Amino acid sequence: MTHLVQAITLGLLIGGVYALMASGLTLIFGVMRIINIAQGAFLVLVAMLTWWLWHETGIDPILASVVTTPLMFGFGWVVYRLMISRIRGSSASMSVLLTFGFALVIEGVLNVVAGNKFRSATPSYFEESFRVGEISLPKAQVFGFLAAMAVLGALYFVLTRTWTGRAIRAATQNPSGAALVGVGATGTAALAFAIGSATTGVGGSILSVLYPFFPASHYDWISRLLGIVVLGGMGSLPGALAGAAILGLAETLTATYGSLGWSTLVFYVVIMAVLLIRPQGLFGAKLREDAV
Amino acid sequence: MLSLNGVFAGYGGGSVLQGVDLECGKQSITCIVGPNGAGKSTVLRVISGLLRPSKGEVSMDGEPIGHHAPDEILRKGITQVPQSHALFPAMSVHENVLMGGYLIRKDRKLLRERLDRVKDRVPIVAARAQEHAGNLSGGQRRMVEIARCLMLDPKVILLDEPSLGLDPRSLAGVADLIHELHQAGTTVLLVEQNVRLGLGLATHGVVMEGGKVRLTGTAAEIRDHPEISSLYLGGGAGPRVASGP
Repeated sequence: MTHLVQAITLGLLIGGVYALMASGLTLIFGVMRIINIAQGAFLVLVAMLTWWLWHETGIDPILASVVTTPLMFGFGWVVYRLMISRIRGSSASMSVLLTFGFALVIEGVLNVVAGNKFRSATPSYFEESFRVGEISLPKAQVFGFLAAMAVLGALYFVLTRTWTGRAIRAATQNPSGAALVGVGATGTAALAFAIGSATTGVGGSILSVLYPFFPASHYDWISRLLGIVVLGGMGSLPGALAGAAILGLAETLTATYGSLGWSTLVFYVVIMAVLLIRPQGLFGAKLREDAV
Repeated sequence: MLSLNGVFAGYGGGSVLQGVDLECGKQSITCIVGPNGAGKSTVLRVISGLLRPSKGEVSMDGEPIGHHAPDEILRKGITQVPQSHALFPAMSVHENVLMGGYLIRKDRKLLRERLDRVKDRVPIVAARAQEHAGNLSGGQRRMVEIARCLMLDPKVILLDEPSLGLDPRSLAGVADLIHELHQAGTTVLLVEQNVRLGLGLATHGVVMEGGKVRLTGTAAEIRDHPEISSLYLGGGAGPRVASGP
């Protein structure tokens, strides 16, 4: 029983971090129908930057997101204006090609600048745990989870309680309807891309502590993130939360009761099973049939 | 008040509109009728700025607006309710209507006043406030769409096929609302397949065919025109035309 509770708790802690990482991807897809394959590379880029900040200054890696988040917001804005905006109106497959190319460029630059080797930020609490009864909660995962929840909460607040968020949601659900009430498509898309990129500012900082990484780790990350958003329903934030929780639980439960090697595979099997029954994903939009 | 002079516009190179001349008087209800593909909806898309004319000019109170962006046209007091799918389906009715005031979002007092007024005028906005717009029926959705465009207190409302897919009761509700807006001084330009209903509501009529305006006049004149009566209203009033468009 303790094993089960321990596995579920750890699964949810990891799931919270995955949810934050996937939220940016699903937000960008929702507003622009752009599949940002470079989101994994953004995460690894931030992880590298965080590692460097931690290594040089001793700043706590998770706290370093105070620096990396605004940087990634600006980075996302510029990338949208200079690159992504040029393929607006093209098919989603075009965005896959373009952002995949961009991911390779980031990987190449990181290889040249930082070298092709594994890194991991290891702050003082890296090997410590909180104990709650029989359950042991690694401090790094608890802090990562709390940071992820704080950012997701802020994102939820922005999306539901501010005009910027309403405009983003309106453009997500009905671009021409949004234009009719005066929401500018270009500005909203740039903002959504910048916010989506900013989530990697925190996600990447957490990644640098929880997982060893090297420049080509982005393939692994984008596979997981795509899996999460496809499972949850492309463009749906609650879907990303659910998908992330399922991935986290699938990993820890399989690792506890099966073997570590099977843990990721089980998640992809779950995705295939769900998609056979619900092709639109768990939270894919389905209201009345004639709604947009 | 609102006029189009020699407007050409289309999609992907071809011109749907082939030199449209149109005049909407202040506080009139003008109904555009015509067969499918005549360019009726395209006229509305050009006026609301969703489609730019390749030639010709659109003007409002004498000021050219043909090349303005949709949000600038909204600021001039022209709002559009398209044929379908105008709402944000996963947002609540309240939020949908609130989004109608996106351009006045910084003036919170004005926003609240307008919202209260719209709630009074269109009761469903308050009655179904928290419901997802995507779960409303066609008639309810149409009312919310019109309510949303009232948030800007428009001078001109463009309505594309307001009767589309509505049952008779919903239709009566929408017709009453259009009538009330007209009484309150709003200019209405509507496109309607249901010619009898459209011309019944309107003060003026416009007949379009092949991307051009073929006939204009008061709604009664258009209704009683022998050819129109025969082509669109099932005949009776005048001599039948041998071949239609």
